[in-house]
Amino acid sequence: MPLLQTREVTVRFGGVRALDSVSLSADAGVVTGLIGPNGAGKTTLFNVVTGLQAPTSGHVLIDGANVTGYPVHRRARLGIARTFQRLELFGSLTVRENIQTAAEIHQLGSRRRSDVGALTDSILDRVGLDRYAGAAAHTLPTGLARLTELGRALATEPRLLLLDEPGSGLNSAESEQFARLLASLAAEGTAILLVEHDMDLVMQACETIHVLDFGLLVTSGTPDEVRADARVQLAYLGQSDTVSTQAGS
Amino acid sequence: MGEFIGLSIAGLSLGAIYAIAASGLVVTYTTSGVFNFAHGAVGMLMAFLYWQLRVQDHWSAPAALVLTLLVAAPALGLVLERGLISRLNVNDTGTMLIVTVAVMVALMGIAYVIWPPSIGRLLPMFFGPNGHVSVDGELVSYEELISIGLAIATALGLRLFFHNTRTGVAMRGVVDDRQLMAMNGRSPQVLNALSWMIGAGFGALAGILTASTYSLDVINLTLLILNAFAAAMLGRLRNLPLTFVGAVVLGLADAYVTGYVRLTGWLVELVPVLPTLFLFIVLLALPAVRLRAGRAAVSKAIHVPSAGASLRNGVVLVVVAALIAPFMHGIALGNVNEGAALGIGALSIVLLSGYGGQLSFAQYAFFGFGAWLFRVLGHGGNPWALLVAAGAGALIGALMALPALRLRGLELALSTLAFGTLAWYMFLSQPQIIGGGDVTIPRLHLPGLSLQNDRVNLVFLAVVFALLSAGVLAIRRSRFGRILVATRDSDTACATLGLNLRLTKVALFALASAIATFGGAIYGSTQMIVTNTDFEYVSSLFIVLIVYVWGISTPGGALAGGMSLALAPLVEVHIPVRFQALTYFMTGLGALTILATPEGIVPLVSERLRRLNPLIGLRSRHTRDMSVGNEQLLARVEVSRATPADA
Amino acid sequence: MRTPALELMDVRAGYGGIEVLHGVDLVVPDGSLVALLGPNGAGKTTTLQVVDGRLLPSAGCVHIGGRHVNGTPAQRLARAGVCSIPEGRGVFPNLSVDENLLMVTQLHDDLAPSEVRERAFARFPNLANRRRLLAGSLSGGEQQMLAMARAIVTDPALLLIDEPSMGLAPVVVDAIYDVLKHLTAEGMTVLLVEQFANKAMSIADYAAVMINGRISVFCEPADLENVVGAYLGVSA
Repeated sequence: MPLLQTREVTVRFGGVRALDSVSLSADAGVVTGLIGPNGAGKTTLFNVVTGLQAPTSGHVLIDGANVTGYPVHRRARLGIARTFQRLELFGSLTVRENIQTAAEIHQLGSRRRSDVGALTDSILDRVGLDRYAGAAAHTLPTGLARLTELGRALATEPRLLLLDEPGSGLNSAESEQFARLLASLAAEGTAILLVEHDMDLVMQACETIHVLDFGLLVTSGTPDEVRADARVQLAYLGQSDTVSTQAGS
Repeated sequence: MGEFIGLSIAGLSLGAIYAIAASGLVVTYTTSGVFNFAHGAVGMLMAFLYWQLRVQDHWSAPAALVLTLLVAAPALGLVLERGLISRLNVNDTGTMLIVTVAVMVALMGIAYVIWPPSIGRLLPMFFGPNGHVSVDGELVSYEELISIGLAIATALGLRLFFHNTRTGVAMRGVVDDRQLMAMNGRSPQVLNALSWMIGAGFGALAGILTASTYSLDVINLTLLILNAFAAAMLGRLRNLPLTFVGAVVLGLADAYVTGYVRLTGWLVELVPVLPTLFLFIVLLALPAVRLRAGRAAVSKAIHVPSAGASLRNGVVLVVVAALIAPFMHGIALGNVNEGAALGIGALSIVLLSGYGGQLSFAQYAFFGFGAWLFRVLGHGGNPWALLVAAGAGALIGALMALPALRLRGLELALSTLAFGTLAWYMFLSQPQIIGGGDVTIPRLHLPGLSLQNDRVNLVFLAVVFALLSAGVLAIRRSRFGRILVATRDSDTACATLGLNLRLTKVALFALASAIATFGGAIYGSTQMIVTNTDFEYVSSLFIVLIVYVWGISTPGGALAGGMSLALAPLVEVHIPVRFQALTYFMTGLGALTILATPEGIVPLVSERLRRLNPLIGLRSRHTRDMSVGNEQLLARVEVSRATPADA
Repeated sequence: MRTPALELMDVRAGYGGIEVLHGVDLVVPDGSLVALLGPNGAGKTTTLQVVDGRLLPSAGCVHIGGRHVNGTPAQRLARAGVCSIPEGRGVFPNLSVDENLLMVTQLHDDLAPSEVRERAFARFPNLANRRRLLAGSLSGGEQQMLAMARAIVTDPALLLIDEPSMGLAPVVVDAIYDVLKHLTAEGMTVLLVEQFANKAMSIADYAAVMINGRISVFCEPADLENVVGAYLGVSA
């Protein structure tokens, strides 16, 4: 059973359908990509999964159990963690404190007690932020800030990790390092749902890719399948006259 | 029947004044996004100006009205918007509220200086005392009818303005999207300024109507228009028709309750709090705010002293207190004691607002509650009563927070102000509590140590403050403290990490209220004689304002704030009577240092000192670690491909 | 040679100290449509923001009609004939369709409301029976049409339009592009930011490809076969 399933999730803002009956899934131990042009509804889907946005209709299932009515923090305690496209760092805390506080918040909600300090150190090391541990988060450039958000999410030891454009602000070397990090997280059994516009990173890191276009799930498949899919070319390049009739049907 | 009609018209006319005042508030808030706490004060000042022109300088009523409503009030609105408000970040609700509170205080000061309260003033009714008609045997004054007529005209005029004029439509549109409005060729800044000018005009009109129907008095006018907040809140500060409904309901409720209900016992003071009660109920009925991404506050890190450093600072404070105490006497000694006690209570503000980012305007309710508890429980100055007071305060604080949990920012702050107002009228001012004139409270008695001597008490207060602020700092360094700061910076992120925000807020309010109530008990024990006026709800605005100015996130700010409040009267006695109210004005003006140093004066000074003093250079290594080195930053930026706009 | 409608010279700009445009050079000749393409995050929107006055460039020159306009606020540029339609539909959701349409009279007080409606509804007839609805309740396509109406009614000297097809169904995108085609045929100068390269190429006079905060290619559409690679990380 997939860790995450969305069942016909629809979100409407006024007259605009941000998501139109989207059903997709993400499995444990797999990096799943979620791509599509701007405005396709990727971030809205993340908000629905994490509970920040109530769907107009449809359900969110974790381990097959319906969590649609759960408040944000209860979902987090089920093991969902995320990063934000527009950063939501704790600006007046240091990088280390950002991660440490996340671990502490996580511990409040569970009976398990582990060594927060050691966990924080290992995460700092893992995402490559040990050099910046003492920096106040509001002084960070975007790339480091995104890594801090990732570290913060990891501090809750998530089973499902939702990453919203983590690659922007990384250079190509960092980007490769980042892909390796994702792979190692997946190898530990984490389900990762990755929204990213850096296609190199997506193709490199993802096992499965879902393509959204104006709120609709266009297709799902392996990177090769998706790359070859005419509908994806369509979603990204706009319809040429020949395929527009197919899309309209 | 005649009585009913008479009451209805009286109620409608009061409702009409509320409606006009509230309209101004709504126009300003809707367009510029700023809730103007000084709205009432603007109306008050303009009512005094009108009195000056009309009575003192013998202008005709129309000329005086034109100058006040169409020239002076819009000019004041323009100056406030251009000079202050436009320099602030709209999303920083806390600072924005505090600045308008500062403006309120400054305007009150101006009024006191120009029109000293020692002289009684009456504003003539527009048609004299005989200007009335008889309806079914009841006399209805023209004044009342004028108010009702003006409110109707306001409603129609605003409706026409907002729907049928280009500028009105633009003012509605700018709310949706400021940049898009600029791209359509209208300057959002100009529209903002305009909304403040219009708002001030309506505030002035309401002020003059109030003054000619009721009384011309600085405090009453400033606060009476506060009641308009309640009406405006029914329309969530944006909807004018609902605002008018709210105003009429308030006016009629006031008239009918006054006319038909015999209020006895605890309910004697019900009429003046009707609007507050209404505000409280409306706020509680508001739908819960949704968490949203993309609104994280950008806040600067403030240096948090280590346990050792905070204890060292505490020892220094106690030594200073012990050194100066023997040389103090009389009133000065009393006031310094009072200031220290207030400082202890003000530590609750550091925790609540400084760390937790929640504004509460109910601190004095807890101070009063603490003082009363100590009177009731602290026989012979029993120190256990202090702990009981703290525990009871925690309970009440949690209870206050519970219904307010779904609210944030402005709404939360207003709900605490409403709570504080209700607590003052319905509880503290009751004769059974501390409403019956001077009330004596025992001085705290520690086993083996008498604090009856004010000098000893002062040293004791210094010890309590030192310990409590070390405690507050320890909380800041603790897990709970980090979580508090994290919720202040981004509550959305905290929730997605698994934090139950409501529980956290309840815990924060409980803890802060425990400190405030404890501080109130200490205050009572220090003062030994108090009245309900020592705990007036308006004072809560003042203390938050002053602590904000000194530094909302440092214990030093709390102490300086408490001292400022208690020592101001000492300064005043050296000022000629005529200018005593200048302290008001200076307070308001001084508060505007927030514009320059949002972190407050104390952190600024201590930061400077840390840099200057090579002896404590040890600690400055910390601060260097606080931010990424510039070179590193630049290096990262060069390789970064970050583009917020396209992301 | 005529003065270009728009010229950017070595323009640098960014947000909060992080530079996004690292020296953009771009010319939009008078009466032409230039399509500004490139992957997400390249700086396309930022370029438009610099031109329409929403963002102050940190260095370089922005010339509109030969005049240096760095630092001119958006509302002054709008008065000077720059019509910018931002991404995500440039409408006021809480105003009615009619009020949105008449927003053009803020600038052009000589335009009679009836004339505004006439011109807009002639192009987008389905807006006519939605006049009294709130713009926010319209479908995405209708909102984009409503935003486009501003350009249709006012005949601006320079039209800037940011991803008009974003999140829209193909039929609607076709309608939007028909309008753009029509406007350029009438001689309007347009700078079009678009992710959908093929669609934009069908009506563009020139294509500018932006990568990493710089214009890397400027050519005629026919020469731009390999654009696909920039999006999917492969060559098409």
